[in-house]
Amino acid sequence: MNKERLIEKLSEANVRAVARLITLIENENPLSEEILKKVWKETGKSYIIGITGPPGAGKSTIVDSLAKFLVEKGKKVGVLAVDPTSPFSGGAVLGDRLRMTGAQSSGIFIRSVASRGHLGGLAATTRLLINAVELLGNDYTIVETVGAGQGDVEIVKISDTTIVVEVPGLGDEVQAQKAGILEIGDILVVNKSDRPVSDRLARELQMMLSLGDKKDLESPIVPTTATTGEGIDELWEEIKKHQEYLGKGRFKDNRLEKLKYELENQISQKLFTKKIVEIGDKEITKTSKDILNRKIDPFTAVDNIIKE
Amino acid sequence: MASKGKIRVLIAKPGLDGHDRGAKVIARALRDSGMEVIYTGLRQTPEDIVEAAIQEDVHFIGLSILSGAHTHIFPRVIDLLKEKDAEDIKIIAGGIIPDEEIPKWNEMGIEAIFGPGSSTKDIIKYIDGKNIE
Ligand SMILES: Nc1nc2c(ncn2[C@@H]2O[C@H](COP(=O)(O)OP(=O)(O)O)[C@@H](O)[C@H]2O)c(=O)[nH]1
Ligand SMILES: [Mg+2]
Repeated sequence: MNKERLIEKLSEANVRAVARLITLIENENPLSEEILKKVWKETGKSYIIGITGPPGAGKSTIVDSLAKFLVEKGKKVGVLAVDPTSPFSGGAVLGDRLRMTGAQSSGIFIRSVASRGHLGGLAATTRLLINAVELLGNDYTIVETVGAGQGDVEIVKISDTTIVVEVPGLGDEVQAQKAGILEIGDILVVNKSDRPVSDRLARELQMMLSLGDKKDLESPIVPTTATTGEGIDELWEEIKKHQEYLGKGRFKDNRLEKLKYELENQISQKLFTKKIVEIGDKEITKTSKDILNRKIDPFTAVDNIIKE
Repeated sequence: MASKGKIRVLIAKPGLDGHDRGAKVIARALRDSGMEVIYTGLRQTPEDIVEAAIQEDVHFIGLSILSGAHTHIFPRVIDLLKEKDAEDIKIIAGGIIPDEEIPKWNEMGIEAIFGPGSSTKDIIKYIDGKNIE
């Protein structure tokens, strides 16, 4: 597909074209920028739900149930599911789709994304990937993170509502780690409620929450059994409540805040690359040698280079 | 800019029978050679497989087949790819497929067939040999 045809197909919300655009974005192919410039006005229109929590907690299964549930309510849904890239080979086995066969049969667009070395539970390009999926005209985009526990905090910079999934029986050693990740949840889900000790976990979470900083809207705890779909309607009620709480005002403020952060990042990235190229490898090597031989200290060296 | 593209492969095990141990072994071997493997598991219909392959924008569909199910699954996957204007996605297959049938399937659009004697290395070598991007 050439560029013109791809743009034309994107305007028709063609699945193949959206899938191809996602690949271009993932590969940081310059063509993706050109295309996103052309379709930018059509993006940003879906409500973004992020789901995080430890591996095996049932994130994918919840996404499956929730997405199906939304489709039955007449909503259009897209899914991005991030899994880790192997640091050794650069390859990945992306297995989230395995748990999303129900959503798949409901005609939902699902894309498995490898983290490609990015930390924070997402891929570096996730925000743009969401924009690409939005070209299909979704009401909701659901993003599942890698599930690396505490490190998975980037999702809050992306989603309008963040759901943190916990499960009973992961042992006490993870208890301490939970505090950090709990804070980012607008909604906490205790999945695998079919298991005996899940009540206790819900009580523990309640206690941890009461110890933490008070939020304007207290994060509800929702028990679910994702495999049977039990509790998914309650989860949906809580998502709606949060969405209503955000309203137009907070919703826009939050997004603006996130965009500012993003823009600053992009500017510093671009400036950084430009400057590094400008300075050139020769000068970097020479100055590094000077620092190594204690001819100059690194602080003065950096100041000198930037002033040039 | 150097291409940051990855080879993406969808592995499916259509048909109602059996386990997916073999398919998992292949998925991991492909990952270890740097590919991104979308693993969709057991009991996928040809419709599911083709739709997933398009959404995932894969270069290859790998079909792992044990029983004689290939006689209806292969043609269906080939047809669906044509229908969806996605013939550039290549199909490879593994499993027990009678030798005398192989030329016929190759001609119909199954690019390569790996019998019980072949190793994951053969599959990787074949895919790498295709020089994607
Ligand atoms: N018993 C039980 N098992 C579940 C439940 N939800 C998910 N699972 C199982 O837990 C395993 C991991 O689920 P998955 O959705 O892949 O977890 P993820 O790694 O967080 O995405 C799978 O075998 C699921 O079938 C549940 O509510 N109850
Ligand atoms: Mg998952």
